[in-house]
Amino acid sequence: MRLYKLADYLKFTSAMKVNRILFILLLSSLIAISCKRNKSKSPEPEPEPFDKAGLLTNLADNLILPAYQDFLKATDTVITYYNAFKSNPSVNGLQQLKSKLNTAYTKYQAVSLFEFGPAEQEIVRMNFNVFPTDTVQIKSNIATGNYNLSAVSNLDAKGFPALDYLLYGLNQQEQSIVQGFINSSNQKNYVSDLLNEMRSKTASIVNTWNTSYRTTFINSLSTDVGSSIGFLVNQLNFELDYLKNAKIGIPLGKKSLDVPLPEKCEAYYGKQSLTYALETLKIIESVYLGRGLNGTDGKGFDDYLDHLKVNSANGTLNDAVKAQFSAARTRLSAINGVLASEIIANPATVNAAYTELVKLLVLLKTDMPSHLGVIITYQDGDGD
Amino acid sequence: MINRVSSYLKTETSIAPLVIFRIAFGALLFLSTLRFVLKGWISTMYLQPKMFFPFYGFEWVKPLAPTGMYIVFILMLLASLGILFGFLYRYATLLFFLLFTYIELIDKTNYLNHYYFVSLVSFICIFIPAGNAFSLDVYLFKREEQQTAPRFYETLLKTQMFLVYFFAGLAKVNTDWLLNAQPLKIWLPAFSHFPVIGRWMEDDWVAYFFCWFGCIYDLLIGFFLFNPRTVKWAYVFVILFHIATALFFNIGMFPYIMITITLIFFPAGFHENCLSAIKQRMGYFTCKTTRLPSTTVNKTVFILFLLFFSVQIALPFRYLLYPGKLFWTEQGYRFSWRVMLMEKTGTAFFFVQDKKSGREIEVDNKKYLTYMQEKQMAMQPDMLVDYAKFLKTEFQKKGIADPKVRAQVYVTLNGSPSKLFINDTVDLSLQSNSFLKHKSWILPF
Repeated sequence: MRLYKLADYLKFTSAMKVNRILFILLLSSLIAISCKRNKSKSPEPEPEPFDKAGLLTNLADNLILPAYQDFLKATDTVITYYNAFKSNPSVNGLQQLKSKLNTAYTKYQAVSLFEFGPAEQEIVRMNFNVFPTDTVQIKSNIATGNYNLSAVSNLDAKGFPALDYLLYGLNQQEQSIVQGFINSSNQKNYVSDLLNEMRSKTASIVNTWNTSYRTTFINSLSTDVGSSIGFLVNQLNFELDYLKNAKIGIPLGKKSLDVPLPEKCEAYYGKQSLTYALETLKIIESVYLGRGLNGTDGKGFDDYLDHLKVNSANGTLNDAVKAQFSAARTRLSAINGVLASEIIANPATVNAAYTELVKLLVLLKTDMPSHLGVIITYQDGDGD
Repeated sequence: MINRVSSYLKTETSIAPLVIFRIAFGALLFLSTLRFVLKGWISTMYLQPKMFFPFYGFEWVKPLAPTGMYIVFILMLLASLGILFGFLYRYATLLFFLLFTYIELIDKTNYLNHYYFVSLVSFICIFIPAGNAFSLDVYLFKREEQQTAPRFYETLLKTQMFLVYFFAGLAKVNTDWLLNAQPLKIWLPAFSHFPVIGRWMEDDWVAYFFCWFGCIYDLLIGFFLFNPRTVKWAYVFVILFHIATALFFNIGMFPYIMITITLIFFPAGFHENCLSAIKQRMGYFTCKTTRLPSTTVNKTVFILFLLFFSVQIALPFRYLLYPGKLFWTEQGYRFSWRVMLMEKTGTAFFFVQDKKSGREIEVDNKKYLTYMQEKQMAMQPDMLVDYAKFLKTEFQKKGIADPKVRAQVYVTLNGSPSKLFINDTVDLSLQSNSFLKHKSWILPF
């Protein structure tokens, strides 16, 4: 292929003056701006870019892995206590079991957020915590003794909500719960199956994190779809939305023309909805702050936003977010007693908490991702 | 003057540039369409959604049943092959243009300037005689091969390219871009982990450099491409620029399309060399060497394209008809080559009120919208209206006879703290998307 002689292109005739000027302008602006770099470099050492790997390592080692290990241990404890109860059902055994279940359910709140990588494979939220639970389906599964827990139709007949129902019952005497277990070996086996399913899924997640996923996680430094930061920001918002809607809003009547729906509360039978809601808020805040499970502060999104010098209306965005976390926590804690009763007795108090959660969601879902350049869709864009 | 222009456009030049363009564009259309299909986007964009956001005036454009949508894409693949090989070229280009434009009109969620560009170029393709040489049409139907074509045709393509670049540059002449280096100041730090260049990505000067360079590049590159003496150097910049954007941004096939199509600016000799190299490799030889009387430019076609480009030149300025900050209100934003100008994110809470009791339902957007739809809807006023109208019908079906639909929307634009976007008491389902009407319910930026 004959290429045009370079000289032809470099030779400008007089008619080409305008073009030459424009060209030089373009080149000189290039050079001029490149020179600026040297100037800004000389006075002081260049600040280091934000240590994203540090953030991810901190969250993996101090929050995510310990939370999973804690949860796995708590699940094992429930199984131990359940096995004892199963072989010798008693009111005392039931009380101990319920307390262990409560611990495990609480610890579950700390891992629910991390539904990516191995947890996404196991579809944790759908398998562990679909509420309200389908009591009719549970009773029918127990009656027939013939069920497939992996079936989609059983998603709302298993996990913590099903255990919550089977161990507490609706305003049932403890003695009558115990009697239920004595009378039905099917029920005994059903609870075993539920616990074993959760245990094996959790063990598999912990195993994958330990063997391979931790490395994948801390080495994914972009903000694209499928990056660790993308996952965290996405799931952080998903969990907050879940807290706002499923745990508070729906029971309060936000989707039902202000008609409260107490039976839609999380842990409706064990009446621990508020404890779990606060725990969820705490874990969202921990991810944001880079706070370890033991409470030690490390590198988190707060540092990332401060590093990028992001401002809000008054002060920094980080300060606004932290203040909003605190406001939401205060309002949630202000709800006294059991959520299922409070949404009827004191809807205004619950609504105040709801409002603060909405404000928090706006900051974390709108302002934060916008500044981090997080891409959450696989579709092409042209930046508009 | 008019005579000079007219004689310039009528001048017969080699048909090679048009042929090379046809081959390259056909191949790119085929690859892009195939990529679209393989990524599963037919399903995510056209089968999964429960509602679609139509363009104003095109509400009648509806998606087909799944089989129909797949057939559309199969036809598009075939049409792009038709363009590539010059088989039933005129029908292939017409078919591709119609189908592609149909797909893009279904849902404005997926609007991209790149898609608009492909629609326009494939429209131009219908009229250029690019299938009259080195094509299956010539080979199979034993037609005589056309050697030359009036310069008018390649000028259409060049003008189209020029307009895209120039208006993209003009759109960058704004304070956010030039004085604040936004949104690049937000986007670039996300690449701080890149090898070698990563350590500068958080520096302001880099964002300013990219902004100014991008703006000057877009404004001037068309002139340098048009000039045969500078075209080669300009092309080096074209490659550098588009490779850089491909590296940093999630913009799919666009950079490659631009890099390839820009070749049209190279002198005819370049294309003739390419073409003869391809012919040699394929052992292709022209059956008949008689010189066909070239295609003359029809007056109607000339006027059609005069109109075509006039509309394109007018559209980017229509935003002047509306008050308020364009990036915030987005009234007159689309079809104007405004690319990469905004980091805009919103969160929208919709409420359906039963007017009779005054009680409200907060809508779960995820129930009705795909992720992408919700994201786009939450920051674009006309989409808020579309969605509100959809919700109205949806909740009427659920038994709320007379619903009011309002929304609390918070938006951040180019790093500004998020704030209330629209009047949150207005019944959005009663608002109009007519371009004749200013959306007075958008709060000032």
